[in-house]
Amino acid sequence: MTSEPHPRRRRPREQRGEGGRRLHSAGSAIVVSLLALLVGVLLNAPGIRKSAHIQPEGWKRDLALALTGPLEDVSHALLLDRPREGLKAALGRSDDDEIDTAVALPEEPPATTPNQPAAPPPRTKFTRERPLRLWIAGDSLVVVPGESILRAVASNRSVEAVGGIDGRIASGLERPDIFNWFTHIRKVMRKEKPHAVVLMFGGNDDHGFMTGLPEGVEIGSFGSSSWTAEYRRRVAGIMDTVSRSAFLVWIGLPITRDGEQTRRYDTINAIVAAAAARRPGRVAYLDTYFFFAGANGSYAQYISDDSGKLVKMRAEDGVHFERPAGDLIADKVLALLGKRFELASSRTR
Amino acid sequence: MLFPTATFAIFFMIVLPLSWLLMPRGERWRPFIVAASFVFYSAWDWRFVFLLAVSVVWNHVFAHAIHRNATARSKGLLVAALAGNVALLGYFKYYDFFVSSTHNLFALAGVDVPLEVRGIVLPVGISFFTFMGIAYVVDVYRGDFEPVSLSKFAAYLSFFPHLVAGPIVRPGELIPQLETPRDPRYVDTARAFFLIGTGLFMKVVISNHLASSIVDDVFGAPNQHSSLEVLVGVYAYAVQIYADFFGYTSMAIGLALLLGFRFPQNFDSPYAAVSIQDFWRRWHMTLSRWLRDYVYIPLGGNRGGRLLTYRNLMLTMLIGGLWHGAGWTFVAWGAIHGAALASERWWHERPGFVERPSTPLRRAWQRFATFHVVCFAWIFFRSDSFADAWEIIVRLFTAWGEPSPLVTGGVLAAMAVGIGSQYLPTRFPLGLMARFSRLPVPAQAVVLSVALLGTHTLGPEGVAPFIYFQF
Repeated sequence: MTSEPHPRRRRPREQRGEGGRRLHSAGSAIVVSLLALLVGVLLNAPGIRKSAHIQPEGWKRDLALALTGPLEDVSHALLLDRPREGLKAALGRSDDDEIDTAVALPEEPPATTPNQPAAPPPRTKFTRERPLRLWIAGDSLVVVPGESILRAVASNRSVEAVGGIDGRIASGLERPDIFNWFTHIRKVMRKEKPHAVVLMFGGNDDHGFMTGLPEGVEIGSFGSSSWTAEYRRRVAGIMDTVSRSAFLVWIGLPITRDGEQTRRYDTINAIVAAAAARRPGRVAYLDTYFFFAGANGSYAQYISDDSGKLVKMRAEDGVHFERPAGDLIADKVLALLGKRFELASSRTR
Repeated sequence: MLFPTATFAIFFMIVLPLSWLLMPRGERWRPFIVAASFVFYSAWDWRFVFLLAVSVVWNHVFAHAIHRNATARSKGLLVAALAGNVALLGYFKYYDFFVSSTHNLFALAGVDVPLEVRGIVLPVGISFFTFMGIAYVVDVYRGDFEPVSLSKFAAYLSFFPHLVAGPIVRPGELIPQLETPRDPRYVDTARAFFLIGTGLFMKVVISNHLASSIVDDVFGAPNQHSSLEVLVGVYAYAVQIYADFFGYTSMAIGLALLLGFRFPQNFDSPYAAVSIQDFWRRWHMTLSRWLRDYVYIPLGGNRGGRLLTYRNLMLTMLIGGLWHGAGWTFVAWGAIHGAALASERWWHERPGFVERPSTPLRRAWQRFATFHVVCFAWIFFRSDSFADAWEIIVRLFTAWGEPSPLVTGGVLAAMAVGIGSQYLPTRFPLGLMARFSRLPVPAQAVVLSVALLGTHTLGPEGVAPFIYFQF
């Protein structure tokens, strides 16, 4: 590009591109882009409002909320949100734009303390005719172990997976506005009636911002006593919702590449492990921390297997699992299920 | 900063007017667009900005050195320049792969190799800008191109529309456009908006829907699914990866066009190909050209006889496979394509071969066969391991008649759109664009905002990363 300004010439009558289309000025491109975005934002205002709402805490979220609030009002006043509403309704996804922060939890039943060991419940038998209904759910971390569990039980007709793997990216127990697990778990438990549930939460909960707090409740920073009390309440509520009718295996969070994040995950794991210990026979906590630590106890992306072969366990982001890690977790989960249930011998489908 | 996000829309609406304002003064425009591109790149990880800067400076210095020493020393300089590029890519992309592969090979013999994997994080787009850097120094070495100033080269290599996932633009295609100001009176806005709109739809609606509705489930646990689900899942992945990558590059080409720059086409209805050779003329066309010009031809191309041609085809496709990812399944994907290309060539060169006249039925059969070879190769491309790929293949034949709840009307409709769009006559999009271009400005804005409404409403919540970002 030369330093010379573009010489001013008269605009010829018209310049056409391929297929006879009319070429426009850069100014026109800018105006059309701006107008299209503005009208597009108004037409999609409810969805954009929700996108703003579910952002991580910080100035970006505050700014987005400050901007999208009035936009949503204008859109609603001009009825410009109606086409989206209609389309969503036609697709059967009317609740997509709803921001549901209700944390509905059962009242915590009297805890069975660990020093009063309850007699282990008898192993329930499941067969091909009456299969064990297994539901796997959680944040994105549950997906790979969930796939491994499903692959491992595929040849066993006495196990029936319900709902595939219900893994929701970026979700957790802190932000029901992103995805309301409290409502969803109740619905699934009622509708699918699983006998065993595998959950993994907390991967996105390592910060101090929660929505859906009870009225008048404020929480401090991550790990503070008020934060811990509220997070413990939510974990306990989920455990009770599930374990009233099913056996729950809760997979703990692993060590991660980021030491600070690992320390935060430790805080979450401690809360979950303690809550599980208060519910013996109903909830089992699977500690995954040391599965994925290297020889010196620190994070390792690759781990040697029994034959000395290096196996990639963790994804590039230093948090998520690779398939062999999923298989390792699946083995442990199935061992826990095997202690609680008697499953008829495997049969190839 | 993904294209289909509000953050990018704000970024672009700041860059677009400023770019046109500064356009007449190249010495101002270039630092501006380089800075904007670096800001765009830093949105992933600010530390990798230094890597991009190193790539810019390295290739710039060597291109000038090669040009100044256009005689005996230039070959050595070229080798050094290429070694630097390959080392950069090799370290970040392949180090752990080669260390673990070497370690495991020796472990088979009971030998413990004292090499440690490092858990290196792959910088987004490194494969793309490294290939463009290589193209630049090789073109300068060949005398096809004179090296340009640092600011022009930096603008060429880091220009944000192509930076993270292509298309791989040749120096001869983009640098001349950076030498003269783009004319603000004639912008092909209709084509730009059409490409951005279709790209957005293909990514947000088609690709994301197929991924979340069937592909991830089927490839995650194939033995939980019926043969029909697995078959449709494999087809759906073929459509998903096309919609994803076509969507990204269409948006990239459209955005560049709004800024006044023309990028080469990257896809031309690949699933309408009648042979694997034809497929590679239509799929990721800028990579195919790169592999042809900077790997296949330097290896000898078809100049050394039949066997050497087959070898060169195979090697080129193996490198192409490895370029996509540090894993043996990607190498297998490349090997399948290499073997198919070599087989086609052998078939056509065998004694007594007579090309039969093309009929609609014959073309339909060729398209069917080509599509299935491509889908077979996609199984390895998408699978995490050979065991997983094998599980998919076995499941294709062993679970017919079982319930197939994942094969829904929505999945089939998305696949029909993804494949059907490749069979549309060219005059159809051209006619649409021409009609759109004749609309007054407010009407154009309304059409686009309604398209935004449709895409935003039909697409699943959230934006999944583009598949090709990992390459």
